[in-house]
Amino acid sequence: MSIILENLSKRYEGHPVVNQVSLEIADGEFFVLLGSSGSGKTTVLSIIAGLVSTEQGRVILHGRDVTYLPTQQRNVGYVFQHYALFQHMTVADNIEFGLRVRKMPAAARQQRRDELLELVGLTGLGSRMPRQISGGQQQRVALARALAHRPDVLLLDEPLGALDAKIRTELRRTLKTIQRELGITTILVTHDQEEAFELADRLGVMSFGRLLEVGPPDQLYRRPQSEFVATFLGTANLLVGEAAYNGIQVGPRHFDLDSQALPVEEGQRVQVLIRPEDVALAVAADQLDCPPLGQGIVEHTVFSGSFERSRLRLPALPGVRPIAPPPAYGDDAILIEVTRTQDQVSRLPIQPEQKVWVGVRRLHALAHPGLRFLMPTDGSPLAEAALAYGGHLARMAHARVTLLAYGMDAAAGQKHLQACKEKLGGGLVALDLRQTEKPLAAGLAEEVERQPVDLVFLGFAPHAPQFRLAEAILPLGEHHLLLVPPGAAAPSQVLVCVASGEPGKEDIRFTARLVRHVGAEAAVLAVISSPQTNETTRQRVDRFLSQGVKTLELLGVPAETVIRTGPVSQEIQQQIAAAPYDLLVFGSPLPDKSGEISLDGVISQVLTAVPHLPTLIVRSAGPERADTVGTLYAVQEVF
Amino acid sequence: MSTLAAARPAPRPPVPWGRWGIRGVAFTYLAVLLIIPLMVILRDGLREGGGELIRQVTLPIAWHALKLSLWTAGVMTIINAIMGLLTAYVLVRYRFPGHGLLNAIVDLPLAIPTLVTGVMLVVLYGPQQALGSWLRDEWGIRVIFAPPGIILALLFITFPFVVRSVQPVLLALDQTQEDAAATLGATGLTIFRRIILPPLILPLISGALLSFARAIGEFGSIVIVAGNIPFYSQTAAVYVLGEVESENRLGASAVSIVMVAIAFSLILLVDWLQRRINN
Repeated sequence: MSIILENLSKRYEGHPVVNQVSLEIADGEFFVLLGSSGSGKTTVLSIIAGLVSTEQGRVILHGRDVTYLPTQQRNVGYVFQHYALFQHMTVADNIEFGLRVRKMPAAARQQRRDELLELVGLTGLGSRMPRQISGGQQQRVALARALAHRPDVLLLDEPLGALDAKIRTELRRTLKTIQRELGITTILVTHDQEEAFELADRLGVMSFGRLLEVGPPDQLYRRPQSEFVATFLGTANLLVGEAAYNGIQVGPRHFDLDSQALPVEEGQRVQVLIRPEDVALAVAADQLDCPPLGQGIVEHTVFSGSFERSRLRLPALPGVRPIAPPPAYGDDAILIEVTRTQDQVSRLPIQPEQKVWVGVRRLHALAHPGLRFLMPTDGSPLAEAALAYGGHLARMAHARVTLLAYGMDAAAGQKHLQACKEKLGGGLVALDLRQTEKPLAAGLAEEVERQPVDLVFLGFAPHAPQFRLAEAILPLGEHHLLLVPPGAAAPSQVLVCVASGEPGKEDIRFTARLVRHVGAEAAVLAVISSPQTNETTRQRVDRFLSQGVKTLELLGVPAETVIRTGPVSQEIQQQIAAAPYDLLVFGSPLPDKSGEISLDGVISQVLTAVPHLPTLIVRSAGPERADTVGTLYAVQEVF
Repeated sequence: MSTLAAARPAPRPPVPWGRWGIRGVAFTYLAVLLIIPLMVILRDGLREGGGELIRQVTLPIAWHALKLSLWTAGVMTIINAIMGLLTAYVLVRYRFPGHGLLNAIVDLPLAIPTLVTGVMLVVLYGPQQALGSWLRDEWGIRVIFAPPGIILALLFITFPFVVRSVQPVLLALDQTQEDAAATLGATGLTIFRRIILPPLILPLISGALLSFARAIGEFGSIVIVAGNIPFYSQTAAVYVLGEVESENRLGASAVSIVMVAIAFSLILLVDWLQRRINN
């Protein structure tokens, strides 16, 4: 193995940018790290080169542990995104720099420099200054410079990112040819999928500092193991179906699949990935050369050179939840992306509004992750109550549970965890026992960094320190927070308040995912605080709420809308008094500039007034932020 | 079309009175304020012919004063170049408590009256003061009323010049070049010498020359610190004052012309360097 990375981690300002990355790269392999910006891929490269230190783990290059060696002694070749050529030196001096440092005799140095200029196709340009040559040529110089001292490994940080499309394609080929010719082990970092697919022997996909999956490009594309990789690589149609005997059930339709290709046992939910090029279209069901999914309507088609991309709407299938493309809010249709070759297009041209049958030639099943709960416990009555409540919900929602003991020493913690395990009893999909000796917020931060969770349960009484604790826990990861007062019963009537200043679709989606399993009903409440609101705004709020209700109902939660006028927290309290609600849902307030969240205002007023109600605080999902802004703005106008 | 265009004469552009007016004001201001006084002193110094000018300048007392001004300024420039570079590097590359304050203090010498500078140095290094007497008794170094005092005063007043000319260039340096050099095996010293220093050379020289030019004419602090001892601690500027007071206008003008000539050629050089840096 040329490069072995063991458990690398790095954080900036408390946030993990590289999170336990382990990787082995074979001799002569061209490995590509793919991820969106900020996913930590460049930091991994910098750690290998020693430009950034790792907080834990090891870097081994050709069997040599270089973790604590300075950059100079690691013998790597590094190409930077913006070339980083020495501007005051000629091209030749740039290339010879590494050789001069190594005190190579002049004659040998010049010979090596000429070899490299020829290798990268720049013979004769040695006497130019960097600013006298084009970007593409500068990057070739950077490559030659990085190779001159015959490094053990070649590290390329988005080397083609700053170049225009045509030069990029050309340089990509040059890069691959040179890498093959020299047989040098190479890691390239990029956010460009096409580049990754074309160059990689193997590919690693990174997101939020984690290396999610590693494999040959075609394998990652066709048979990804996670939702992120499935939707990140190329375009994906991703639905939630069910594993069945010898195949997969998508609503009423059955698709055959090798049983060995099934990630879970029969009857469990799976995610079904259908790539756009594996979708077949026909005028009639019997003309399809593959199993049909249903009849749909063409929404639009786009010509894109060798291909035609189109989007189709299929009516909802019972028990099928679409994940990607994301369904429109309050709409139950399944959207399907289709890519066809021009040859296929000429055989069956389609127009918007046309009805066509949709068939599936090939599909891939991924394990459906389901929900993951975290319940911290210190043995206090509050924590015990939250545990009982969360355990019940987890069983009903088939959620994986992590118990986190805190505030006690190791031996007591183990004993306590075992006691909790017995108390929770059987029926849980998975139970993970963890312990921390740190204070709750710090221990919890570590825990969600190791394994992100969807929901944290916190035993709660409406006192100031408890509010501060909730505020500290909310921003620690991507999770939502459920505040459980003592004696709370499983939810049966849910009140979703979109009136707390942050009405996001995520409130409603997550609420539905959580309570659909316990047979609860929901009311979606908006409070219009200004009495002068005109009829149009009122209608807009009403429309927004009805879409929310529709979404809830699609996910199996019967729901109704409520609109009230008056002071927000007062109206919410009156609504609470009007029906036997047993779960409150608020959208989390937006974090301020320093990333801190404050629950002061409506949430703390309501919680103090009705201390017996469990309260779910839902964070808005990052990527969905963009498409909620429109509606968010529309409703915020009202308050 | 072309015949038509030729047939009708293009309308005459209006006379740009405004632009000429602005230039005129600027040039007049420059002439009244700078050029005319320079011409006058040149004429005054040459009034008895070039030979007399040379004689006045090469009088042993004048010659010594000029040499003293030049060598103290030279020593100051070398120290200032090194320490100014170091200060600029620390200010740009490190963050520490008091960073903002230090950065502001750099410009302080520009604002402090130079006389005050002289007084401060006398208070600190004077023969009756603790530090001054210790230096004299233990090390045999006289600071005040001696050339070291002059150098200290010059160092103080010219401190900002090198720092402020190096700082912006250092700030704009692409640090990935240093990372690149490190991956190529260069040690910290090599990186400084081969990667960081080369682009700083021109601004460094420019800043150093500016401080040299400024130092040649320094008067206020030196008149207090140096003690004005002919053939020992009398600089050219102080000598000129003495000549003016003893009504030897020719001697004053002659030495002044030499000082102006040195300053002017330095400024031209700095200007040329600045243009090279900007390219």
